[in-house]
Order: sequence, then structure tokens, then C-alpha cells
Amino acid sequence: MIHIDVVIPRLFAEGASDLHVKLEIESGSLLALVGPSGSGKTTLLRLLAGLETPQQGRIVVDNDVWLDKQQAINRPPQQRSIGYVFQDTALFPNMTVRENIQYAAPSGQRALLDELVEATGLEPFIDQKPIRLSGGQRQRVALARALVRRPKLLLLDEPFAALDADASQTLRQVLLKLHQNWGTTTLLVSHHEVDVQALADRVIRMVQGRIQTDDLIANRITARVQLEAIKRIEYDEARQYWIIETDTTLIQSSNPAWENRRVGDLIQIGVS
Amino acid sequence: MPIDWEPIWLTLRLAGITTFILLLIGVPLAGWLALSRFRFKPVVEALISLPLVLPPSVVGFYLLVAFSPTSAFGAWLLKTVDLQLVFSFEGLVVASLLYSLPFMVHPVQAGIENLPISWREASYTLGQSRSRTMWRVLLPNCKPALLTGIVLTFAHTIGEFGLVLMIGGNLPGQTRVASIAIYDEVELLHFETAHTYAALLLGLSFAILLLVYGINKRVTV
Repeated sequence: MIHIDVVIPRLFAEGASDLHVKLEIESGSLLALVGPSGSGKTTLLRLLAGLETPQQGRIVVDNDVWLDKQQAINRPPQQRSIGYVFQDTALFPNMTVRENIQYAAPSGQRALLDELVEATGLEPFIDQKPIRLSGGQRQRVALARALVRRPKLLLLDEPFAALDADASQTLRQVLLKLHQNWGTTTLLVSHHEVDVQALADRVIRMVQGRIQTDDLIANRITARVQLEAIKRIEYDEARQYWIIETDTTLIQSSNPAWENRRVGDLIQIGVS
Repeated sequence: MPIDWEPIWLTLRLAGITTFILLLIGVPLAGWLALSRFRFKPVVEALISLPLVLPPSVVGFYLLVAFSPTSAFGAWLLKTVDLQLVFSFEGLVVASLLYSLPFMVHPVQAGIENLPISWREASYTLGQSRSRTMWRVLLPNCKPALLTGIVLTFAHTIGEFGLVLMIGGNLPGQTRVASIAIYDEVELLHFETAHTYAALLLGLSFAILLLVYGINKRVTV
């Protein structure tokens, strides 16, 4: 369980005021932060990461006190179990993809690194410098790098902002798979409704540094979603729709987006 | 008249040693200044930059007073490590270190400050210390700035005159660097020798700068 109660003065579009967020997050959940630009979403991530210090407040993660202003506890980012994916990815240009991920990896964690590289589909670019990669590939590297220390808290700042639909889709799948397999608590800042709907089990809308709405996504709780690999995918010329088969489900769809899917790709299947 | 190469070698030795030591001192100092939020940082920055605005004779005068065996510091140096800094090559090195410090610190500090803040923040969130972030992430990504610092320091030390004259004088093989030798030869109306030294310094300085701009272009493209 993560307990957050932070106050920090901020300049909002409507004038100077306090960002005040009081929040409890279930471990292992994927929480989306939405809201207009300048509403304090990124600031909240930075406060959690220890990149900014609130005027007053307390952050406790799994009974571990990261911040308590009253007791003058303020752990630096290095001592917080976090993975932070920056909006600009912040990959180090002097290092290859492998070196970027290795830089953060605890020594002797070769298997973990290989697992992440495989899960994010980065093998073909592993020895490339980031400048040679597309926006979506860079985000996947940043995600792998952020997860290599097995953080308790994964913070994602607009990872989909600069991506086209296909790259977004790939990143969403990778993210969901990693989030579920690794049980990391994830906070996602996003402007895109589609990302939020596809990923989050709780959506918090922030306005002027305050929580305006806090919604559990009900169908995600009652109707659980699971990932399954496509076993068969083909286009039925006569009826003009796609037939997709997984272990438990047969889908028929006229959505042309299926063209990009192949056997073995993971898709979300709702389980009632 | 045969050319005495001694002043040229002395100049290159002084510039080389100064640059090497400043690389060891100036780069960590620049890194600290770039990242620090120390309250008195402006004081440190102003002190480092003083040689840029002061006449070399002012810096030279104070150093002469400080290094003199009759001063407390000079006497202490002489007594404890048997080092006399006035009218000696060692004294020139120490003076050049102070005098050329801003030429190493400024480009490197600016280079680090111009890198995206998210790089160092990313490194911190990945559990890495400030010093590892500096050596593995920040410095490797500002090679042009490092190169500029090295070359400006080297070239500036070659060009020193007033400071050397104040605390070094004109001792052949000890403190008679090329710029002093040129002045000396002109005083003696040996224009031909002065020409040779001047042309050598001109050619050398131009070659160094050409090298830097050439390399920097390759690095940044």
C-alpha cells in the first residue's frame, strides 16, 4: 500500500496556489493520472521520485517511509525503489540500448536484463545508439531501463505523447504485460483516453493541483482482463472480416487494425 | 643567428603541465559548480572568473607578494617543502593554474549545464550516485566542451605575458617563455629572432585552434 499526502506551492494557469494531493494506492495497481496541462500530474510523479521536495507531507511505500517532513526524513531518488520513464525518455546518447539498460542493472542480473529485452522486443536494436531508434522504440528502452532494478513504483510521464497509433499499441501491450508479470505498482500520466481505458484500473483526474475525481474502472475489476497469444489469425475474403483465435476465445472483427497482428502476438481478452 | 629553442620548449612545457593539472582540478570543479545549489556558489564563481577581468599585472603583483620568501606563505613554503615560487618554473605553473582556471572551468561548466536535466535525474532515479552520473553520463556527452576547455587553457597559457613577467622575470631555461623572449629580443632590436618566435607562436596557435574546430565539427555532427 502506498500512502501519499503532499503539499507544495505551485503556479497554476489560474494563479499561485498549493498542490495538495492525498492518496492511497493499492500495491500492484495501475493508476492513471489525467487532467489539463499544468494541473500538477508531473509534479506529483516528481515528488514521489524525490526529484522535488514538498513543503510538507509524507510518503510511505509498503511501510517504508520515503518522506516525512515532520521527522525530517527525505530519501534521495537513489534510495527510493522507483523506475521513472521521462517524457523525453532521457536515454543516454553515449550508450547503446544494452549499455543504457546495463547502466542501472545490479551486477549479476544478466537473466533479468535478457528477460526485459525480450519482453520489450528490443533484441534487433540492442547494440544501436538511441539516436537511431524511433520514438516508440526509445520509450520501450526507457521502460526496460526503468524496470531493471525491479522497482516497487513505476512512474510513467506521458509515454505515449509522441507516438503514432501503432507504436502506442505496441507500447501499451508491452507495458501491460510487464506490469502484470512483475506486479509493479504503476502511475501513468497520460492525455490519451485510449491509453487510460486500455491500461488503468483507477483513474484520477487532477485540476489545479487537487484531485477532482477518483474512479475505479469497474469492468476491469469485475471482468478481469487477461492476455492471450493469438493462435490463428486470418482474413475471410468472402465475409470481409478477420478471424482471430486464442486459447479461450474466437473473435470476428472487421477492424482493419488486425492486419498488423501476427500469430503469437498478445491481446487482451476479457474474462467474466 | 641560430635560434634558441629553449623559450619555445619552456612555453610548451608550461602550457602542457598547466593544462594537465587543470584537467584534474578544473573538470571536477566545473562539475560541482554545474550541479551544486550551494548558497555561496556565486562567490566561488566570481573568484574563479577574476583573472578574466583583472589586468595580469594585478594578479601577478598579488602572487609576487604572496610567493615572496618574506611573506608568511612564501616563508612557510620555503621552510616546509623547500619551494620558492618567485622567479622559478614552479611558480609559473602555480600562477598559470590560477590564471587559466576560468578557461577550463567555464566551457566545461556550460557544457554540463546545457545537457538536458532529465539525463542526470534519470541517472539518479536509476540509483546511481552523483559522481557516477558525472563520469558515465554527463562528461562523455559534453566532449566538445571538454576539448574547448583543454585547448583554451593550453592556448591561453602560451599567450601569458604580464603575469610571467611579474613573478617569473626573464631567467633563461627557467622563466624565459616565448612571449617574454619576443619582448626581450625586440628590446635588444633583434627583430629577426623576434620574428621567428612570433611566427612560431602564431603558427602553433592557429594549428591548435584549427584542430579544435575540425574535431568539434566531427563530434557534434
